[in-house]
Amino acid sequence: MTSTRLTTRGWLMMLPLLAVMVLVIGWPFVQTVHYSFTDARLAGTGGTYVGLHNYQRVVNSPAFWSSFRLTAEFALISVTIELVLGVAAALLLNQELVGRNVLRGLMILPWALPTVVNGTLWRLIYNPEYGALNAALSQLGLIESYRSWLGEPGTALAALIVADAWKNFPLVALIALAALQAVPRDIRTAAMVDGAGAWARFRFIFVPYLVGPLTVAIVLRLIEAFKVFDIIWIMTRGGPANSTRSLSILVYQEAFSFQRAGTGSSLALIVTLIVMLLALAYAGIMRRSAGGGI
Amino acid sequence: MSALDLKGISKSFGRLPTLAGIDLTLDSGEFLVLLGASGCGKSTLLSIIAGLLDPTDGKVEIAGRDVTRVAPKDRDIAMVFQSYALYPSLSVARNIGFGLEMRGASKAARREAVNRAAEILQISHLLDRKPAALSGGQRQRVAIGRALVREPKLFLFDEPLSNLDAKLRMEMRSELKRLHQMLAATIVYVTHDQIEAMTLATRIAVMRDGRIEQLGTPDEIYNCPATSFVAEFVGAPPMNLIRARAEGGALHVAGAPQPLPLPPEHTGAGLKAEVLLGIRPEALRLVDANGLMPVDVDLVEFTGPEQVVDTRFAGQRLTAILPPERRVAPGSRIAFRWPPERIHLFDAETRRRV
Amino acid sequence: MDRRSPAFTVFVYAMALLLALVILAPMAWLFIMSISPAADLSARPLRWWPEEPDFSRYRALFSLAQNSIGAGFISALWNSLRVAGMATIAAIALAVPAAWASSRVPRVGWSLGLVVASYMLPPVALSVPLYMGLAHFGMLNNVFGLAIVYLTILAPFTTWLLRSGFDLIPKEIEAAAAIDGARLDQALRIVVLPLMAPVIATAALFAFLLAWDEFFYALLFTSNEQAKTITVALADLAGGRVSDYGLIAAAGVVAALPPVLIGLVMQRALISGLTAGGVKG
Repeated sequence: MTSTRLTTRGWLMMLPLLAVMVLVIGWPFVQTVHYSFTDARLAGTGGTYVGLHNYQRVVNSPAFWSSFRLTAEFALISVTIELVLGVAAALLLNQELVGRNVLRGLMILPWALPTVVNGTLWRLIYNPEYGALNAALSQLGLIESYRSWLGEPGTALAALIVADAWKNFPLVALIALAALQAVPRDIRTAAMVDGAGAWARFRFIFVPYLVGPLTVAIVLRLIEAFKVFDIIWIMTRGGPANSTRSLSILVYQEAFSFQRAGTGSSLALIVTLIVMLLALAYAGIMRRSAGGGI
Repeated sequence: MSALDLKGISKSFGRLPTLAGIDLTLDSGEFLVLLGASGCGKSTLLSIIAGLLDPTDGKVEIAGRDVTRVAPKDRDIAMVFQSYALYPSLSVARNIGFGLEMRGASKAARREAVNRAAEILQISHLLDRKPAALSGGQRQRVAIGRALVREPKLFLFDEPLSNLDAKLRMEMRSELKRLHQMLAATIVYVTHDQIEAMTLATRIAVMRDGRIEQLGTPDEIYNCPATSFVAEFVGAPPMNLIRARAEGGALHVAGAPQPLPLPPEHTGAGLKAEVLLGIRPEALRLVDANGLMPVDVDLVEFTGPEQVVDTRFAGQRLTAILPPERRVAPGSRIAFRWPPERIHLFDAETRRRV
Repeated sequence: MDRRSPAFTVFVYAMALLLALVILAPMAWLFIMSISPAADLSARPLRWWPEEPDFSRYRALFSLAQNSIGAGFISALWNSLRVAGMATIAAIALAVPAAWASSRVPRVGWSLGLVVASYMLPPVALSVPLYMGLAHFGMLNNVFGLAIVYLTILAPFTTWLLRSGFDLIPKEIEAAAAIDGARLDQALRIVVLPLMAPVIATAALFAFLLAWDEFFYALLFTSNEQAKTITVALADLAGGRVSDYGLIAAAGVVAALPPVLIGLVMQRALISGLTAGGVKG
């Protein structure tokens, strides 16, 4: 078969997907860019060209910067916790252990739990009057009176991070475990014969196998965390006093609660830009690891 | 009418030329082996004959018909792949009959053809199994069976034996030889294994860097290599090549006690000065220590029927295969002679035979 | 292989127990809440285990009475099932040919990169035009509209998964089929797709889970029983005027049940699917 014919055939097979993607992603994205330079309203009114005005408004607003700081905090802290707990759990599951397969099977559960259910679950646990956390802590004598974990700006973000990390650390653990088990048995045995201690084995045998997969997982998790909406919406709706208002929540409020499609769009594009920078870092890592993979 | 005609086939991937102007004519009933190291372009050439790749330039003719732009299925060829490429979800019988099924043959005709092929290949008892339940050798037979039933004008084999272990490989080699003789089929066969090439081929094309280095019968390739590359590539251990100067009707090797005689047909000829003197290890005979070619023995490997002796002659490596009767000791000094007609001379610069 | 001291073995088992507890306790508590009488849940000190399990919430959720909580809940389940099902089928139908092309045709492959890169776009960057577009075509609060929107998430993802599946199937098999005289559609149907069946099933399950979990678009684009999905219904319940936490917990259990069951049954396939990309990366 001639290669031009093969290429034509390839495009024909690709076409339906590309057409749908243009329709549901390409066109909306271009529209978002367009709106970001206008004063469009969600109801369809407005739409006059206003240049960079929307962007100036966003960059000059304290709300944007506080959301940005908060989202970054949320992303960095939860991903760090997921990384530490994930690797620890993977090292544990890599030990000879009766019931290891059952335990590994359990790890899939938090991942499978829908985010909305997860948010609801933790919201109930944190409930200021009847929540399990208050009950447990006071029955253990750790707190004197019940607290409103999600209702106080000081603890709301931390409470959210715990809920998010609980759902996502098992995934990191499974990825790390797969990487650990990819270490050839011979290498482990050789290291042991060579007299390497536990730490030396971890540092020189396991870490090189972990770095690649975990970097990928971490960057993807960071991207996800920067886009966070669902769990915050369920648990706090961005409150109290906007102390958990992530960038995506801010966009939602601007574009849908206040119906300002124009500023909402420019804000959304700034979020997109941040995520793209993370994605570029990801692509860079992928290229480097493809070049000199382990 | 020739079975296969390649005219000026060249192929580049991007700016990288993989094949550079291949011309080849194959008669009906021939068994042509494309022999070369990996990356020499032999598999690319086979894919072009099959129609799986387009040549950048040139023409492919099968049985006199120009098929350069014809789809693989309409070329009347069958191909056996290195990975066997059996259809994992289909039974052995359906695998073998797939080509006939696709061409709309009746069920009865298909069954008959499949049974006949299975009988020839001694796999009749496996017809109901799935490929995953077969051993490597059995899979190989199924792959060959799939080609057989089609009764094509041309069979193409892409390193078909390289995934088998040594014993099975030998078995399948004789099997292929038997099939070729029985069916009088025309075959193009790609391999990097020179023993397969020597034993199976009616003609061998030794390939290197996208060109045919030499095309000839196994006898010609072995006994009359056209270049020092062919001389070294075919034969194990490879032919010894010794740097020498041809001058005054004799060969002078730096550091050797006396000049060596030229082969008979070269005596007195106007040779270029710098040459490579080629001697196959098995052409060397052991003589007394003060013979024509005194050497120091480094290493002796006894293989049973023979001993492989690694030596140095005037500082250059020289390997000999000697009969086991008179054992040679490492560190000793011995000497060789050889029948004068069994040495080869190559131009040191062009590496071509002189 | 590794010789361990008894102390270390005890430590390993203690940690394993802790890990199991951390993972199971929150989910177990959700279930316990769902079967505890309201009085137990508001008692101080809190009663951790109901004296008498109370399954009345599950009955309420599945009651068919007009305008009851159950009616809304059942329609939400049904909407989720329809939206996720339609979006999954459409995504697979688009993804199979596209994944084949991107795996087999060198000059087409790059376009998949573009499609996959769209995964990086946060939904907020598409939501306003999608909202206006759906409004324009009268497809707000409509399961078809929502299913189409879900293709933004499912199609790139499934194509990517299927492509790595096609990459694992040797090209020689298709070449052999081509030489044997099969047309492309025959080669795909008879030879290649049966091999892809497990990968396609896994991709479809992933896609279904993603669609079942989706909340953001569903929140924006649906408004009542006609199209509201289970995630939105649960959020309404949790954030609304319902004062019986046991009922909220029961709704959460029901919403979590399909994905958790799929997760348990398909464990092996899911784990290898989840980790393959990363480890190969």
